[in-house]
Amino acid sequence: MLGILVLAPILVGVIAYVLSERLAKPLLFIFQVAFAAFAFSQFMAVKANGPIVWSTGGYEDGIALSLYADSISIFMVLMTAVFYIAFLVYAVNADYFKSKFYFLFMTLEGLMMGLYLSSDLFNIFVFLEVSTVVVAILIMINKEKQAIYDGMIYFFVNVIGSSFLLFGTGMLYRTFGLLDMRAISESMQHLDSAKSMILPYGMLMVTVSLKTAVTPLFSWLPKAHGTPSAPPVVSAVLSGLYIKSGVYLFIRFNEMFSPVIDMQTFFFWVGFITSVVGFMMALGQHDIKLILAYHTVSQIGLIMVGLNMASEIAFWGAVYHIFNHAIFKSTLFLTAGLIYHEYGTRDVYEIRGLFKRMPWVAAATALAILGITGAPFFNGSISKYMIAHGTYDYNVTIMLNIINLGTTMSFVKYATMLFGENTKGKRVKSDVFAVGASLVMGIASFFTGIFGEAMTLFLLNYEVHVNMDEYIQKGMVYVLMIVAGIGFYHGIIKHGGLITRIGHLELTFNGIITAMTGYFVVVVLFLNFIL
Amino acid sequence: MDFITGEIVGILLFFIGLYGLMTKKSIIKTIMSMSIMESGIYLFYVTINYVPGSVPPIGQQGDAPFVDPVPSALMITAIVIGIGVTAIGLTMFMHYKQKHGITHWSRNRN
Repeated sequence: MLGILVLAPILVGVIAYVLSERLAKPLLFIFQVAFAAFAFSQFMAVKANGPIVWSTGGYEDGIALSLYADSISIFMVLMTAVFYIAFLVYAVNADYFKSKFYFLFMTLEGLMMGLYLSSDLFNIFVFLEVSTVVVAILIMINKEKQAIYDGMIYFFVNVIGSSFLLFGTGMLYRTFGLLDMRAISESMQHLDSAKSMILPYGMLMVTVSLKTAVTPLFSWLPKAHGTPSAPPVVSAVLSGLYIKSGVYLFIRFNEMFSPVIDMQTFFFWVGFITSVVGFMMALGQHDIKLILAYHTVSQIGLIMVGLNMASEIAFWGAVYHIFNHAIFKSTLFLTAGLIYHEYGTRDVYEIRGLFKRMPWVAAATALAILGITGAPFFNGSISKYMIAHGTYDYNVTIMLNIINLGTTMSFVKYATMLFGENTKGKRVKSDVFAVGASLVMGIASFFTGIFGEAMTLFLLNYEVHVNMDEYIQKGMVYVLMIVAGIGFYHGIIKHGGLITRIGHLELTFNGIITAMTGYFVVVVLFLNFIL
Repeated sequence: MDFITGEIVGILLFFIGLYGLMTKKSIIKTIMSMSIMESGIYLFYVTINYVPGSVPPIGQQGDAPFVDPVPSALMITAIVIGIGVTAIGLTMFMHYKQKHGITHWSRNRN
């Protein structure tokens, strides 16, 4: 039955492409709601009866191309299916919502489902490759000059990245004669020497690190997610959901190699550096879309830190942060789309008085900003609390606070848009559907925070107890952070200079590939060193 | 010359392609290097665990060992994907060149 989750969105996309626009829109909505309900029923089934395996062709598990749903993957599936409803509602009246667009948009959903569910390495390669093509076309759907250039960089870099996965898969097949991740993981325990896994591990890690955009490899991300002319809903899907497929694959691949290879320290540091570099670059940007895009890099770094802390609560905190980040980052991209459409500029210093001009959009933005900075009662605070609980080491706590301070600083800058005088006169009316969808997403970031304990228990099957005293203490720290953030903003960031110059450093295409090769060499050398 | 096997040549081709990608600024050469890299992978796959003297797994063939058909089946798929990807890359490049006259990767966001 899991095959339906992958196939149905693509089929419906094709049908909608053929139908006239008047018929296609209701079809897409009815389908998406039904699809989310189906994903929910599968989610409940996994919750009640444990993992589901769906093998094609009736072959036995391990040999067949199988789809496998356990608690993490079905959680990602449910998240994607539900968020897509909001995205479709947002885009329904937009001028780019044509047959070509929603066909690709729905196909991307099916491909993401495939990435989450597939247990077969070669299938993962196929899904990655096809989704790269789909995303590249979605980025340059307006055929504008900058968008085509950015789309081309995205496309080539990711195709080359996934060929590393194909090569690594070949090496694994050479050793084990298997392609199924769970089966490979089982037979890995009988391996004589862990050294033979160094090369395949390095290859696979290059691909997922590229997909998750960790430190030296993130140069493509701001180009792809922050392209000026790409539709806002595409940026929201890329930054909110699609990037998470890389994080998900990172979890899966490391689980697969866990019998022989443990690289948690390495990726902990990579995550931390990514986080710091991400917000440093975000501080120097003027373009609101680029601020958000670089900020995605920073948050992915935080998720990587949480995943690699060697503690259960931090791991699930990171998984919950995947969900939270999807909520608030999608909201921010969706509202950013409405804002720059209305103001005709993307410069953060020129947009002022949002609360007076577009009150509902401003409210949604404000909710999302509170979420992403980890304000008390918002969802970001719960997952950051969980990640912070993974350690008793004082230095690590300080490192997490540095990341939080960076987040706060860049969003103080972002939040200056909300206030000030409205320079251009009266309130304006935006599209009701678009505003409604962003507002619902914004409010969701509040409710998933208030009910954080219940949500983690329900969605992730992990029980977390928030200690009130400690939580209040974190709240105080948050207020201090805001004060410090405002101070930094007025003292340093506003004046630009060095920070702007750091923000505009970027790698050329050849630089990105060289960084990729360098990263591969570093991973392999490091593994040689520790094994 | 025992060390010149398909696997070694495949690995070499992969890294030659990677070298081209790292050093060449021309977009068309990027696409060519990408194809070289992919051919390296195909060659690596089809020679995985090849035993000299083995036969295709069709029909009844006495006691000669069968070749593992899975890598070849995978490579058919990968070649098809590779052709598609190259075609899309070329389409993007042609569109870009004809509209804006740019053939090389540039340093700045223009």
